[in-house]
Amino acid sequence: MTAPHVSGDLLGAIGGVPRPETDVVVDARDVNKWFGRLHVLKNVCLQVRRQETVVVIGPSGSGKTTFIRCVNHLEKIQSGRIFVNGRLIGYREAAATSRLARLHVPGRPGRSGSDRKKLVEDREKNIARQRQEIGMVFQRFNLFPHMTAIENIVEAPIQVRGTPRDEAMTMGRALLERVGLAAKENVYPNQLSGGQQQRIAIARALAMKPALMLFDEPTSALDPEMIGEVLEVMKELAREGMTMIVVSHEMGFAREAANRVVMMDEGVIVEEGTPDQVFSAPAQERTKAFLSKIL
Amino acid sequence: MVDSIRSLRTRRALLAGFLVLVAISLAAWLAISLAAGTGQTKGASYHFRWYITYDSIFAPDGSIISGLWLTISVSVIAQVLGVGLGILAALAKMARIWPFRIVSNLYIWFFRGTPLILQLSFLFYGIQTTRVFTWPLIDFGPIVIAPEVVAGVVILGVNEGAYMAEIVRAGILAIDPGQTEAAKSLGMTYSQTMRRIVLPQAARVIIPPLGNEFNNMLKNTSLLSALSIFELYYTFSSKANTTLIYFEYMIACCFWYLLLTTIWGFVQAWIERRFSKGTTTSSAGPGWRERLLGGRRRQQAEEIAILGGH
Repeated sequence: MTAPHVSGDLLGAIGGVPRPETDVVVDARDVNKWFGRLHVLKNVCLQVRRQETVVVIGPSGSGKTTFIRCVNHLEKIQSGRIFVNGRLIGYREAAATSRLARLHVPGRPGRSGSDRKKLVEDREKNIARQRQEIGMVFQRFNLFPHMTAIENIVEAPIQVRGTPRDEAMTMGRALLERVGLAAKENVYPNQLSGGQQQRIAIARALAMKPALMLFDEPTSALDPEMIGEVLEVMKELAREGMTMIVVSHEMGFAREAANRVVMMDEGVIVEEGTPDQVFSAPAQERTKAFLSKIL
Repeated sequence: MVDSIRSLRTRRALLAGFLVLVAISLAAWLAISLAAGTGQTKGASYHFRWYITYDSIFAPDGSIISGLWLTISVSVIAQVLGVGLGILAALAKMARIWPFRIVSNLYIWFFRGTPLILQLSFLFYGIQTTRVFTWPLIDFGPIVIAPEVVAGVVILGVNEGAYMAEIVRAGILAIDPGQTEAAKSLGMTYSQTMRRIVLPQAARVIIPPLGNEFNNMLKNTSLLSALSIFELYYTFSSKANTTLIYFEYMIACCFWYLLLTTIWGFVQAWIERRFSKGTTTSSAGPGWRERLLGGRRRQQAEEIAILGGH
């Protein structure tokens, strides 16, 4: 396996990560989601603390990808709450009563704050702002094919954050170097291997200086000999203290880099624990059955 | 294998040679019989005044030049307007808010569902006579644009927008949804995603049909003759009408339109090559030689080879 030369300090390239206000970065409470009649997430609760790496495993169709897509609101949820850095993602809580009704009307009991609150989808601009804090890496890379490697990386900082071009380019080059692709600065994605594309996709997400990184099966679309180079970058990121949720079946990565492993099946979190607990001594039959199939 | 390929190639070359021979002899027969003025029909033979055709092509007078100029400028402005309206209508048609969808659908429905010449006379003469609205005369100082020309450009553009809307929509739908998701996950808003990520990629899909549309536009401007606008066709047809020399003028008119559309073919090929950034070289579109000689088969073979080699 040809691991790239990842010379440490991935986060150094973006000048560190902004410290979130709370220690809990992701707080998902009783999340439910339906695709039509299909109940894909059933009361999912998960907390991820700062600098923690959580690996989510489970059979296909278990809802793990859907769950992390809900965390940056690429999917809607039907009930529950997801907070990132203490902020509700994708929705705002509208009091069940309108402002007029909240005015005290004599003779009627005033509605208290404990009334059930309704979730209303937030405005598109607010959702976009929330997503700036959450990096995402996709199974199929989704690099922008009409832009070179460096343009892919600096696009969002310049367009979204308003970073001056020079500054963005300097940071972009530093990131390219950190993922071992400094030589590919002006190359278009279709001239790069899958592993190289995925490393650039990681650099692109990091360029927004996110407080949280989501990885959706980042190595599933790769040829076996390219998996190592991508995992190496991810391990480095975990070592440096990035908060990460990783949907992956790479046991080696989970054992080495994960603080916690979460097993999902049929939309439910079946089991969670340290990699050792879950892989060596799974408590649940379903986990045992699943692990026996993939190990 | 090699033998069979070679023989296939030889057979194709023979067929091509035969077809070219037929075409040349047909053209020669037509030219000779016309020049001799001895058609197959009985009665007085027609006297061809070829100098009129020759002069209209090689020594065009001011009216032809200005007609040509008007055709080109009206086409370009109307097409630009059409592309702009098409993008807006396509986005409106895909909008989440239903009033946008309704308006866009009605617009496309009307302008694709009625003849262009009817739209021209209805929206110019029809509206002008009601005096609810009068088309303005635009005065740029050195250039003054008559109301009927303003109306003509706008109506052509709005008509074009209805067709472009469907083309743009198809282009947008052709882009992998993963692109939008990646842009969103970076915190880009809808308009940033469209402007920076989706539309530049859709452009590559849109440009070949857009070239077709502009080719049509160059010719559709001839319908402005209904508004008595002296563009290329109306210039020639009025010359023909006043002199009763139809054949000679119309041949010259054909020449000018063919010149415009042929030049546009080259421009289009150039644009397509420019927009193939970041894609495989095979999608760069045919070069001028392929365009003229029809190298479609070879290009297909190349594409198959690339797919197979992947």
